[in-house]
Amino acid sequence: MDYFLVSLLNGLIYGLLLFMVSAGLTLIFGMMGVLNFAHASFYMLGAYFAYLLGRYIGFWPAIVCATALVGLVGVVVERYFLRKVHKYGHAHELLLTFGLSFIIAELVKLFFGNYPVDYHVPAMLSFPAFHAGPLAYPAYRLIMGAIALLMFGVIYLLLTRTRVGIIVRSAIYKPAMAEALGHNVPRVFMAVFGVGAALAGLAGAVAGAFYTTNPNMAIELGVLVFVVVVVGGLGSLEGAMLASLLIGLLTAFSVGVDYSLADLFTWLGAGDWARRMGGLFTLKLSGLSATLPYALMLLILLVRPSGLMGEKE
Amino acid sequence: MKIRRLLLLAAIIGLVLVPVLLSQSLINAAIQMLIASLFACAFSLLCGQGGMLSFGHAAYFGVGAFATVHAMNAFGGAGLLPTPFLPLVGAAMGLVVGLIAGWFATKRTGVYFAMITLALAELLYALAPHIKGWFGGEAGVSSMRMPAFGLSFGSNTQVYYLTLAWVLVSLGLLYLFTLTPLGRLTLGLRENARRLSFLGYDVHRVSVLVFAISAMFSGIAGSLQALNMEAANYVIFDLQGSAEVLLNSFIGGVTVFLGPALGAALMTFFGYLVSDMTHAWLLYKGLLFVVVMLFIPRGIAGLVQSVTADIRRQGLARMAPSMALYVAASILLMAGTVYLVEMLQRFFSQDYRSLAALNGKGWPPIAVFGSHWAPTSVLTWAAPILALIAGLAVLRLAHARWTSILENEEGVQTLLARDSAAARGQP
Repeated sequence: MDYFLVSLLNGLIYGLLLFMVSAGLTLIFGMMGVLNFAHASFYMLGAYFAYLLGRYIGFWPAIVCATALVGLVGVVVERYFLRKVHKYGHAHELLLTFGLSFIIAELVKLFFGNYPVDYHVPAMLSFPAFHAGPLAYPAYRLIMGAIALLMFGVIYLLLTRTRVGIIVRSAIYKPAMAEALGHNVPRVFMAVFGVGAALAGLAGAVAGAFYTTNPNMAIELGVLVFVVVVVGGLGSLEGAMLASLLIGLLTAFSVGVDYSLADLFTWLGAGDWARRMGGLFTLKLSGLSATLPYALMLLILLVRPSGLMGEKE
Repeated sequence: MKIRRLLLLAAIIGLVLVPVLLSQSLINAAIQMLIASLFACAFSLLCGQGGMLSFGHAAYFGVGAFATVHAMNAFGGAGLLPTPFLPLVGAAMGLVVGLIAGWFATKRTGVYFAMITLALAELLYALAPHIKGWFGGEAGVSSMRMPAFGLSFGSNTQVYYLTLAWVLVSLGLLYLFTLTPLGRLTLGLRENARRLSFLGYDVHRVSVLVFAISAMFSGIAGSLQALNMEAANYVIFDLQGSAEVLLNSFIGGVTVFLGPALGAALMTFFGYLVSDMTHAWLLYKGLLFVVVMLFIPRGIAGLVQSVTADIRRQGLARMAPSMALYVAASILLMAGTVYLVEMLQRFFSQDYRSLAALNGKGWPPIAVFGSHWAPTSVLTWAAPILALIAGLAVLRLAHARWTSILENEEGVQTLLARDSAAARGQP
């Protein structure tokens, strides 16, 4: 029971974290059709900025400043890079952001070295929230989850309840019409890009302290975030939420499962054969947990190519 | 056309003469260049001609390499095929895996396709170390090249000729493929897939075929790599490999058939040259890629094409001054960037930090390009920034001159056209 509860919480919170990063990605994608490869790099930048600033101004102010800084980086990327290649098409934009993600990773290595930096949860926040059997559950995980939920609420209300939200949604839905009505659509794009980047930066600043902050964190998370977008469906915020939670839970639960395909075959009466075959059949599910999201994605592509909540191809 | 053929012939003769002219370590670099070129061309069959951007091509390169190593080890080390034919195994494996992966990936197009190829490669990368029987775990699988047909394949030179032969044949086949009906359909996929389906073609099937053929040639490249290294490790599936081929191809220019090969050869050669000198080689590569994406979207080959076309129209004499300005601007910009990056790299390196801490009194000077620079002096940082600013200014000037020449030409022609029309109107 304890195991179940802890895995459930871990999965949910990891899922919420994934959602924090993929929310911006999916919004930007839905709006501009740009798949921003550098999005996970914003997540990494958030962690590194917070680490750097945290040494001087304290933990929480550093997180706020890092979020703002990453948002600024996002605005610069949109204004001075993406907009320049817009005329060459989406593939070109994807390639450009890919190059940028490459450069950001290399710059981080240049300034901070190719190893994890010592960014950790401050002592006043590293206390157990509750005890589940012998396990002390860190309160910081719950704080991360709360921040993600808060962010989701704010974004949702902003998009559905304010004038700005109406303009943003109309710019997503019919950019040409919104422009004809006198709204500055390029500026809306720039702002959304900046906000999306800032959200990823916030996620990085918060999560970097708990997990490790290293130059590979962008690509490790980045691929997973793409999987979330594919599984969730094109540009759908709700789909991203659902897919994030699904993938979070899937990884959290599978780490603790020690069964392999051979055990399934034993149950079917062909266990010895499967064990003799070796290879895939004797791999424990716990060892495969990193590959499950990709398998889920392939499955989704087979049965529902538009994603869980996606409407169009 | 004739010039192009002569150039091609000269290039082939040059490649054949490489082992006679170069040292052993350079021959090894040349082998790497050839393999990278073939891989880049295979990649851009899919992404340049088919318009399908793959972010996971290292997977097909990798399976080709592993299949070859296993084929070399087959029958107690005797080998499944004689050594020169081993790339056939890599090709077959690439084709099969390409068919399976392509069937999934080509279900979607555009950026979705890119993400699926990426996820497939990451899937393989995450899975490979766990399957020891196939991929040998962390240690990888190693093998030995067996003698065949009186050749020992012990020296670099023999491996070079084997690689050269395979690369030339493969490039030839890839070129011939562009002339076949399927090759023309590949272009159709890029330009307008919906129209192809209206014309009655099964777009999914065509895409899978193109994907598989691209994967097959990637498999040959991987196979040659395995033959050269006599080993394969699961790290080959890393995203780094997929990124490398993508960067190489686009820097070279995917719109021209041999552009990717050019890019890959140049980048591999520079990588070989500078990898001992700098830790920031990948950063330079990334910067170069972004500059190419922003300003010369058709890559080096496309740039060469358009420049030669302009020169032919305008005459070399008129274009030479602004070309010289361009070159000067590039040199200034490159010098500034390289100096700045190297300074920063050394300044932020752990060695330097501990040295400074040991020293106790401030920052010791940093050695870059044979001289020592004090990191606290203004000049140290002002020099590269001034170089960058000067470079940008010269670049602006060059660009203004170049465009004014081209515009003048067009202006003159419209004036002439108007004059002749007026002359005809009023006899």
